[in-house]
Amino acid sequence: MASRKGNNNDGVLSKVRNTINSSSIVQKGKQAASSASTVFWKVCKSTGKAAWYTGTTTLVLIVPLIIVMDREQQLIEVEQHNAALLGAPTGLSPSM
Amino acid sequence: MAAQTDPLFGTIPKETEIKKEERTNYMDLPTPIPFEEAHREAMMSLKPEHFEGMRFDFTKGLNPRFSLSHSLFMGPMEFPSQSSEVIKIPTSNYEFGANFIDPKFMLFGRMLTDGRLSARLKADLSDNLTLKGNAQLTNEPQMSHGMANFDYKGTDWRGQFQFGNGPLFGLSYIQSVTRHLSLGSEVFWAEQQRKSGLGVAARYNTDKMVATGQMASTGMVALSYVQKISEKVTLASDFMYNLMSRDVTASVGYDYILRQCRLRGKLDSNGCASAFLEERLNMGLNFILSAEVDHKKKDYKFGFGMTVGE
Repeated sequence: MASRKGNNNDGVLSKVRNTINSSSIVQKGKQAASSASTVFWKVCKSTGKAAWYTGTTTLVLIVPLIIVMDREQQLIEVEQHNAALLGAPTGLSPSM
Repeated sequence: MAAQTDPLFGTIPKETEIKKEERTNYMDLPTPIPFEEAHREAMMSLKPEHFEGMRFDFTKGLNPRFSLSHSLFMGPMEFPSQSSEVIKIPTSNYEFGANFIDPKFMLFGRMLTDGRLSARLKADLSDNLTLKGNAQLTNEPQMSHGMANFDYKGTDWRGQFQFGNGPLFGLSYIQSVTRHLSLGSEVFWAEQQRKSGLGVAARYNTDKMVATGQMASTGMVALSYVQKISEKVTLASDFMYNLMSRDVTASVGYDYILRQCRLRGKLDSNGCASAFLEERLNMGLNFILSAEVDHKKKDYKFGFGMTVGE
């Protein structure tokens, strides 16, 4: 019973599928989907490339700059802190 | 109304002051910098000595005037090839050098393990006349060359006469026109390369910025602009155009001189990003990092080095 029902269902389903597949809207949809996927893939690839270029460029140009400036800032802070604690060198350095 | 007149009164004396300054200064304009160094600031900021591999430099002073230097380099060397891809061959060399430095007389000699020998000389013949010479000897017959320059420093101008083997002759002259502007021109003639040409250059500099332009009859046009943002930061840009080969290159860069390090970065229109870090670890001990990423040629160069002494 179940198998016959299933066959029956299959038959109906396949018929429906065939009619759907052969309709022009579906064909167009498929083409659109495939071209969309290729476009999507190309966009992905080019954005990936752009990300790679900008990423490596930033790594070379900007990252060292940030590190160096951060350290310089820390050095200045430490110096100011020391100057504030000791007091005496600040009095001396401007007169120098 | 008072607020409006005040700045007016404030500005009028200033203008006259500037005019006065200019008038007095036409008589004694500053000496311009040599013609060949017109792009000095831009070169300093944009063209550090990038390298790939490892280098170690050691300088030892024997007495205040005499010092010896040793330097070691290991890494790939680029060789020119027909295809666009770069051919790199791993090499290593050692360079021995001797320097004699006196305020009026300098002598540098360098010798490499691959047989290259070079010498440089700088001597002040009088207060205004300087002789500079450099010579190079190699195993390859065509690569050896020698050159001598006579530089004359006037009150507001400089002239240079240059001759070398080949034969090669050059003459250049640069003159301060106003306090900030100097104009110069050069003539050169090289028989070996069958080239001769004429060049003109202009340079405008104030305390905060330097702008230069140079043109030569070989078709080369070079413009550069350097802006000093603060004590530590300098921004530079340059533009090179070759009329013959239609090559255009523009680049922008920064130059940070901090207490413990100097960092120079550059980005150019050929898709090449580069950075050069010189870090002072200790007195007389410097650490160098060099990075150059060329996206177009897919050529990536990274190097590190150490400089001891000086």
